[in-house]
Amino acid sequence: MEIKPPMQTPKSEWSERSLTLSRLLARAGLGDLAAFAALYEQTSSHLLGVVLRIHRDRAHAEDILQEVYVNVWRAAQSFDAAQSQPLTWLTSIARNRAIDSLRRTSTQPRLQAHFSTSDQEDLDVYDTVASDAPGPLDLLSRASDARALAGCMAGLSAQQRQSVALAFFDGLSHAEVADSMRQPLGTVKSWVRRALLSLKGCLESAVQRDNGRGGPSGG
Amino acid sequence: MDYSRPRLVDRLGAEYVAGLLRGPARRRFEALLPAHPALRDAVRAWQDRLMPLTEVVAPQRPSPEVWASIERRIRGASTATRLSTAGRAEPVPRPGGWKGWRQLALWRGLSGLAGLATLGLAFMLANPAPTRAPIVVVLSAAAPAPGALPGASEGAVVPASFVASITADGRAMVTKPLVNVSLQADRSLELWSLPASGAPRSLGLIAADKASVVQQGKVLDGTDAFAVTLEAAGGSGDGKPHGPVLYVGKLTL
Repeated sequence: MEIKPPMQTPKSEWSERSLTLSRLLARAGLGDLAAFAALYEQTSSHLLGVVLRIHRDRAHAEDILQEVYVNVWRAAQSFDAAQSQPLTWLTSIARNRAIDSLRRTSTQPRLQAHFSTSDQEDLDVYDTVASDAPGPLDLLSRASDARALAGCMAGLSAQQRQSVALAFFDGLSHAEVADSMRQPLGTVKSWVRRALLSLKGCLESAVQRDNGRGGPSGG
Repeated sequence: MDYSRPRLVDRLGAEYVAGLLRGPARRRFEALLPAHPALRDAVRAWQDRLMPLTEVVAPQRPSPEVWASIERRIRGASTATRLSTAGRAEPVPRPGGWKGWRQLALWRGLSGLAGLATLGLAFMLANPAPTRAPIVVVLSAAAPAPGALPGASEGAVVPASFVASITADGRAMVTKPLVNVSLQADRSLELWSLPASGAPRSLGLIAADKASVVQQGKVLDGTDAFAVTLEAAGGSGDGKPHGPVLYVGKLTL
């Protein structure tokens, strides 16, 4: 038996974990702390990875993670497995929290924020700078390998790819993307917009192809 | 801004999910979400598209203190508190007990009302106006309605009522059935404003099974009560109610 979510993305490991996580979320919604602990065990590393891309300071990222799971516990009842995949739902909550939190610290220069606020400086320089961490573009190309996004990503111009990657993975605003790419704000805005639109169109046709292959129930 | 334009809705949804809506724009967008299903759909679709991109981000195991803090916080606000808005924490959470379920029902009911209030508030944000609390009117079954329940015996009680929330300036109103009304396909529900004296004024058709948005300008002007009548499909043609009055709710300001 398999849950059939009305997903727009092609099938992947992402959706294979769905069934287990949906059950855990449903039980957490009824106050089952053990189920919630299992959910945390299976998802917290992923969510922390996502938050750390946006907030390089590990202590801060872990504070955000804590808020995220307290909110998940409170909102678990409202999770609807027919509407969303659990990992998509959880990741969205984590990203929203991380981005909201950026708003509060955005008056500080970005680079300084990476080095500040620590008692254990020796240790934290590695945690925070993470110089061997893949850049956002590396991530995007890996994401492309992993799924039907490959063709879609290839359809984007180099600038479009980079602008989307900086915004999405690293939580940069339009203005910050423009700064980092040394391009006018208006140009960057239109790159991002067109990139997202062509990504959408491309993914939709990939899903249609998938459904076509999957059987007569596709239409 | 007109949130009914599909392309605008899609673009805002994409930018929100990609993290590109910031500051006041982001807060405003989030405030509008509860009242605009099209926005919610766009957000959900973009989350489905973009979140799997994060699959390749290297996982980072959080330190054990993170879970310890989470557990402390959610145990502190025990299950009982979470399920009841009464505020008195019960030390032992009993998720399986019937009491827990009853509290759950209460919690759901209250959260339903809170949701309606949120809808009202969202509309106030959509239509800039002095920020006053929305007005909530409960419409209860007025009389047996033979046409509303196919096959129901004469005198059967119609087990439904509506809640209407209205922005304080009367510019927007949302109605929501508390229980689904069974409605024959050739009938419609029509909402009326009843003045203290004089003829009812039609506020338009409302759905029997989901929330409806009524945007008729001055909803509150001269209104003493609201009523829902059962009309032929498409509603009363001549601006006067014909069918039986199903639900009535008095406006108290």
